[in-house]
Amino acid sequence: MSDVREPSGRRVTIDGYCTIGVDREFNLTESALLEAMDRAGVDWAVIAPTDRMFAVENREANESIRAASLRHRKRFIPSCSVNPWFGTAAVAELERALGEGARVFLLHPFVQGFLANDELIFPLLDLLQTRKIPVYIHTGQPGNSTPFQVVDLAERYPSVDFIIGHCGATDFWNDAIEAGSSAANIYLDASFSRPFHFARYIESLGKKKGIMGSAAPLNDLVFEWEQIRKYLPVETHDDLFGGNLLSLLEKEGSL
Amino acid sequence: MIVDCHAHWGMVWEERDHGNPSKFLEILDRHKIASTYLMGFLNLIRQDLSPQDNDTLANLAKQAPNRIFPLATTWPQLGEGAIREFIRCVEDLKVTGFKFHPWMQGFSLTDPTFAKICGLAGELQVPIFFHDGTPCYSLPEQIGALASRFPKTRFVLGHAGLLWTWRSAILAAQRKNVWICLCGPHARAIELICERVAPDRILWGSDWGPRFTDDIEYRLNLFLKTKVPSKLQELILGVNPMRLLDYS
Repeated sequence: MSDVREPSGRRVTIDGYCTIGVDREFNLTESALLEAMDRAGVDWAVIAPTDRMFAVENREANESIRAASLRHRKRFIPSCSVNPWFGTAAVAELERALGEGARVFLLHPFVQGFLANDELIFPLLDLLQTRKIPVYIHTGQPGNSTPFQVVDLAERYPSVDFIIGHCGATDFWNDAIEAGSSAANIYLDASFSRPFHFARYIESLGKKKGIMGSAAPLNDLVFEWEQIRKYLPVETHDDLFGGNLLSLLEKEGSL
Repeated sequence: MIVDCHAHWGMVWEERDHGNPSKFLEILDRHKIASTYLMGFLNLIRQDLSPQDNDTLANLAKQAPNRIFPLATTWPQLGEGAIREFIRCVEDLKVTGFKFHPWMQGFSLTDPTFAKICGLAGELQVPIFFHDGTPCYSLPEQIGALASRFPKTRFVLGHAGLLWTWRSAILAAQRKNVWICLCGPHARAIELICERVAPDRILWGSDWGPRFTDDIEYRLNLFLKTKVPSKLQELILGVNPMRLLDYS
């Protein structure tokens, strides 16, 4: 892994999940996100689409995210998503978006309407096996998307890296540690898991398994970063706050 | 004034402090929390030890009057035994209210004994707190339906629907006997709940206590840093928790 550091020696920090755009109850603009990142001392952020655009209009969403990341090449990391119900068109759009530079593939089973380990998504994962793109899956919605459904996928696709969004929060927190240790290609995302719980998971699993995400603007980015820095031991910060995600992203090439 | 409406006397506290609340209260002092609604934990996972834990909660409250408001529980699976324990907690232990965790305790909200308990709670004027936000026994809609069946009983959604059913919690809380405790949803959901639920039926809680970790710092500041107007924050933190107990 390349060690991306500032001249001061501080490793670059990455927020693993932020949503930009207008949703029914929020609007996070690019400038507001950048301002919050600056206040929180965050260098990069993975940017994600709104709920509506997870469900429909995937190409429009992927294009919008790509355009934002091109406007802020040194701050935003583009993700992409497709709704697997679009079948072969979804596979084609995923291939197109990856070709355009998307670095993380997102799935939101609750919003997109499938079980996290439904065979519906296997064609997408088949494609991802040929690339080095991590897959982020929102979890925590009972029955629909849970940590052990992601473990099932990780076992089926051992060459694909999976990030368990939200650690199964709220009610699947019991599963987080066991799921996190179930496969080498599984990582835990801090967003919504609450820093005091995330600290326990990392204490148990080790600092190489976690990735910090704020889930802004549903959460306050600055507050979440301030809190996680308080609750997590300082010796874990470099890895959790950028190093681990960077190592996954750079499997596909430098940022 | 701040009242934490969702805290637990975790087993770790009892094992270490043997019914002495002084160290527990020190944590409240650290965050300037005047008092707390205190639920058990042992009584939610061990039916056989539940009365014993109810006793512990009542004894803690006796040592810290007006600081600890105990919420007992009982297990509907015990039938008439559950009713007897409910009445004992109200009449002998003088508990403030009750807490039920249907998925951990393993009973349906349609349980006939639980219906009797809900009716009694209305007659005896003690509120019922729920763990909510979780299928298959604790969804806000299920609690809302219960509230419609028992309009004289006050029900509290102890987690405001958690992360994924807070929209359902908002709908359930349109009933005048349903209160909602901000303890689980993310910051934006908290703001929307405060816009859409009657301001005099919103509470705040931390859910701390199952372990020694101090979760209050995060939970309290999460709420304080939202865009909820300061006047409403004052109502939620200090006024409403006392209103919940006022049946006059």
